[in-house]
Amino acid sequence: MAAPRPAERPRHILLILIAAALTLLTLQFRGVEPLEAFQQGVRDILSPVRSVVDEITDPVQRVWNGIFEYGNLQGENERLQTELARMRGESLMAEADSELLERLLGEVDIAYTDLTTVVARILGTPPGNFSVHAVEIDKGTDNGLEAGLPVVTGAGLVGRLDQVDRARSVVRLATHPDFRVGVRLVDSQDEGLARGTGEGDVLILDAGIRSDTPISIGEVVTTSGGRSLFPSDIPVGRVLDTGNDADFRRSIVVELAARLENLSFLNVVVEAPGLGMAR
Amino acid sequence: MTARLRILVVLVSAALVQTTVCSEFRIAGVSPELMLLVTVLAGFHGGPTRGALVAFWAGLLYDSVTTAPLGLHALVFPPIAVAVSSLEQRMLRTTPFTDALGVATAVGAGVAAVAVVGEIFGQVSSDLESLGQRIVIAALFTTGIAPLVNKVMVWAVAAGLPVTVELRRDGD
Repeated sequence: MAAPRPAERPRHILLILIAAALTLLTLQFRGVEPLEAFQQGVRDILSPVRSVVDEITDPVQRVWNGIFEYGNLQGENERLQTELARMRGESLMAEADSELLERLLGEVDIAYTDLTTVVARILGTPPGNFSVHAVEIDKGTDNGLEAGLPVVTGAGLVGRLDQVDRARSVVRLATHPDFRVGVRLVDSQDEGLARGTGEGDVLILDAGIRSDTPISIGEVVTTSGGRSLFPSDIPVGRVLDTGNDADFRRSIVVELAARLENLSFLNVVVEAPGLGMAR
Repeated sequence: MTARLRILVVLVSAALVQTTVCSEFRIAGVSPELMLLVTVLAGFHGGPTRGALVAFWAGLLYDSVTTAPLGLHALVFPPIAVAVSSLEQRMLRTTPFTDALGVATAVGAGVAAVAVVGEIFGQVSSDLESLGQRIVIAALFTTGIAPLVNKVMVWAVAAGLPVTVELRRDGD
């Protein structure tokens, strides 16, 4: 049990500490370089230790996840079975769909597969309990990565690099409430700004699209490029809800093409037409 | 080993464990809040001043190894340590159950406070809908590892403090 000493001035100390913390927060939000460098330095020092512990605890962690993530795995299994059934049904129309998609992408001169990427393995959730809608990958500045680069899978856009250390990086997923991306509707060629919602694998497109633009369910959505951080023509997803019944502000729901759950590997786009301009 | 050196060793070790082992073992995506536990126990065993100082450095280290802005945890942790110390001094009698309840409440309050302050400072990555669930799991999970950490914190922060003299009447 602690014994308070007569000379203690906890209130004064507390006020000084709070003032110091607020100062640090203010400097951080003003983007003071030494603070970010300090954080990055600490993480770089810890990174090799984390890698070793990851390796050592991997077998135990698998058992742990088997016990505590059993419900999620069961749910995922059911989801995959449903997905498989849907895919079987859709396979009949696959050829026609493929032709349509190729035609749509051809119209806007999409060369998605020409992007130069760095393949990265997902290590898991970043430390702490408030890093939702983010994943940590095993590549960093040593591999030529830098903050802001787009992250994709074969299916399409996943997110962008948020925090890049020497050997690790944090990817902000497209579902993050702070995520913004300029997009283009392939049929109408109308462009707008889509944002993450923090829920499900969907984006909301509610800025920039004209209210009278004809949009159909299933319409392909790609990145728009231009002044956006992302290069153009990366597939984003398909329109799930056209928002046609909106009175004032149209809110279009876009289902992401890339599934963000249970990812193992990602591609970080390091070279693409228009990427240098955006950066 | 001096008290300051002990605290430094404990804080660095705790930060390492927090970013490695604690991040690997999660329940429903929630990991134990080891740095917050260190804060709570520092307040409990070290008194308000020492508790607040240890809490500040624990918060700063935590900010350095997570994606949180520098100063977020350092802002929240010291008041938690002072509050725990203040409550501890007012407790007339404690049992393991009340201690565990106290740790769980303090950790829950700390997690909630970090979420609220994070929201104020625009760190919207905290999923507010699942916040209640996160608080409960983090509080229980962290309380589960508290007995182990408690011994280390007694060694680290209680060193050099005056011995408490409890006055009792005959027959008590």
